[in-house]
Amino acid sequence: MLSNKELYRISKRVYREGILQGQLQSAGSDQARFLEKIDKDKMQRSPDIILKIMSAIYIAGLVTIPIFALITIHSTLSSGIDSSWVTFVGSLSISGFLIMQPAVLLIFSFMFTWGLMSGGPYKWIHTLPIGRKDIERIGFFTFLRSINVQLISMFLVLPASIVVSIVLVLGSEISILSLVLLIITSLLLSIINLIFDLSLLVIVSRKMAIIMGDQEINSRKTNIIRVLSMILYMTVSMGAMYLIQIAIAKIPELYVLQSWSADTTNIVNIILSIIPFPFAGGYLITIMAMDFSNISGVLLGGSILGIILFIFLTYLIYKKALSTLRQITSTELKKYSKTKKEVFVTDIEIKTTGPTQAFLKRDFAIITREMSSIMILIMPFMIPLYMLFIPMDEQLFIGPAGLSIEMIVMLFYVSMVTVMLVVSLTNIESGGSTITASLPISVRDQVKSKIPHFVGTIPLAYIAAMFMRVGTSQFTTMISFALAFLPAIPIIGLASLFFKSLLFGKMKHKIVLEEIKNENKFVKHVLVFVFTFVLMGVFVYVSAFGFLHLGIAEVVSAILLYITYNIMYPKQ
Amino acid sequence: MITEKSAMVSVTNLTKSFGTVVAVNDISFEVKPGEIFGLLGPNGAGKTTTIKQILGLLEQEQGEIKVFGLDPNKDDIEIKRNIGYVSEDPLIYKSMTPRMLFNFIASIRGLDESETTKKLQYYFESLEAVEYYDKLVATLSRGNKQKMQVIAALIHDPLLLIMDEPLTGLDAKSAKVVKEVLELHKERGGSVIFSTHILEVAEEMCDRIAIMDRGKIIAMGTIDELSKMADKVGADLEDIFLKLTNQDESVNHIVTNLRKMMNSKKQS
Repeated sequence: MLSNKELYRISKRVYREGILQGQLQSAGSDQARFLEKIDKDKMQRSPDIILKIMSAIYIAGLVTIPIFALITIHSTLSSGIDSSWVTFVGSLSISGFLIMQPAVLLIFSFMFTWGLMSGGPYKWIHTLPIGRKDIERIGFFTFLRSINVQLISMFLVLPASIVVSIVLVLGSEISILSLVLLIITSLLLSIINLIFDLSLLVIVSRKMAIIMGDQEINSRKTNIIRVLSMILYMTVSMGAMYLIQIAIAKIPELYVLQSWSADTTNIVNIILSIIPFPFAGGYLITIMAMDFSNISGVLLGGSILGIILFIFLTYLIYKKALSTLRQITSTELKKYSKTKKEVFVTDIEIKTTGPTQAFLKRDFAIITREMSSIMILIMPFMIPLYMLFIPMDEQLFIGPAGLSIEMIVMLFYVSMVTVMLVVSLTNIESGGSTITASLPISVRDQVKSKIPHFVGTIPLAYIAAMFMRVGTSQFTTMISFALAFLPAIPIIGLASLFFKSLLFGKMKHKIVLEEIKNENKFVKHVLVFVFTFVLMGVFVYVSAFGFLHLGIAEVVSAILLYITYNIMYPKQ
Repeated sequence: MITEKSAMVSVTNLTKSFGTVVAVNDISFEVKPGEIFGLLGPNGAGKTTTIKQILGLLEQEQGEIKVFGLDPNKDDIEIKRNIGYVSEDPLIYKSMTPRMLFNFIASIRGLDESETTKKLQYYFESLEAVEYYDKLVATLSRGNKQKMQVIAALIHDPLLLIMDEPLTGLDAKSAKVVKEVLELHKERGGSVIFSTHILEVAEEMCDRIAIMDRGKIIAMGTIDELSKMADKVGADLEDIFLKLTNQDESVNHIVTNLRKMMNSKKQS
């Protein structure tokens, strides 16, 4: 038997192997280029450190919700609002925080854990003279190591919020005994929550690793799940920020909006307090923060019963998580896939199309199946999502000037998404390089196949974003503003594509879409961003003289762009 | 226009550097119609850089390359219409099935549907790959991916085949089929540039061989000519190669030390 210290040391190797496998799977058909990149750039081998810290900071940011909830509970109690309603709203706020913790942990830790959960990184450990039990313990340590920074942040966030609340308000409002009980409860609840969330992460990561397993890496089903996960990822991360704002801005209003009688509220409170997760914890913290004042014994008993149920539930999930970890460190991984449908090929035949259509079909196959290209599908969603989640601050975005600010911010956001799309689309050309290297490819055809993204998808997403404001008084003005700028969107997209191609693909006799001139890569990417933003800035500036001027600028730009296209990518 | 009378490939005083590293250093050779030309050398010898320049994937720095009498950097499309390429790493689109892949290739090359279908059926059946036609390339073994590369290189009946380790991962039967295809290609007047580490294969297949080391061609000729250059008449290509690349003494030294180490372990 090896000591825990030794096993923890070994787990570092397994962890790094898992990270690399995850990166390779994400690289899709671009694996060779990725390996070349990590060979040159050592920083690429540890992409996790900055992400870990950022995730931990994001988790720590949740601290604002319980602090704000606890402070508000006391201010509303002293203003004479019915205590059962205060308990209800306060508990909802704390419960909201408790449910956000596993959601945020899942979103921000999944990228570190799913590579490990395939079981692949543990295979080589079996070739070393290490016992089966020790390998199981290595599995446990590796998992902990993969999210250690996030776990520390998560464990501290609830007790820290209690301490801050005590310093700010509670210290002078409730008894010493209640304060001590509150701190102890928050610590205990934090530990149970941590085990619960961690176990949940193990189970979910394993399920996702099965879906994204090696053999199915590029199936369409896998990629639909990947796309959904990425959209969920962005929705939760943007939504979490939005919720924090809402929580801070709207909860005080909820306190004064009691719509049920005190008796009904009491019954609702008791029922909710028995539900183990997330309400039992939310109620227990709220009750203690209220110094047990005006709290019925039934409600206290209910929440304690809920916590006991939560401990039991956590124990069950923990057992399941341990068995999952045991399974992934075993040499004989259980067969997780159903019997695959046998494919019988009855016809080998060729169906040809024109080159541009062939590129479009190829791009579609890659975009819908490869992790590294999935951003192309996701990016257009980001535009309406942005409109959905940016704060509708009436103070800032009021009147025509405010509306203009909002639209200008939106236009620059679209420009940013456009550049990201340009980068992703051109990256496709570097994959499958053996095939493209030997084909008589016309760059003009390649470029033509990228045009629909800039002329169709992005403008559609841009218009869809405006419909996020449908029903508001601003909508009519916004849509006319948006329509005036609509031609500028594909113009800046294509100009950005051409500019990137010029920087990265200029050869003696032609300009290609692949990144073949990789020197000063970072500077070149910054230049592409700056170029796109300046171009959008010019359109915004011209629009200040009126929409007629903007229209003329758009027509002139379109003509110039067409001439540039013919010069850069001549007919062959 | 491509003329089949002239040399298929003509490389003259070619030099290519990456920063301070000279990858290819003043090399010259010709590949004639109906010839299998071997390009041998240890890793980092400059073989792949040479091949990439012939394909027009890397710009020429110094010297001249003519493929079918054309400049690969200027006339790459015309040249690639008549070239089939198999690379050392089968970097083919993993997210496509062979059906999608060959539809894509045939569309880009502008091939005739019915004629290409017949050829494709023949190659898939010969290489026993029919069952993989609708499977994702990602799920194929190294050998089956290699088969896809080989078929992709042959499907348009190119004049010149550039093959970098084409037999890697292939089972004995498929390797034999590929070798026969190359022989047939040669008999019909086509040429092959064949890069490999498997010296027995090079010995068996190549009409002439250029041995590259650290960017230079250190010897070129038929097996007989090379054996004379190495003072190893009658020796196999492995011995000739090691002698010409000055690796024979180092190999002997390593083997002697290994024997010593193994024997001392046995005694203790």
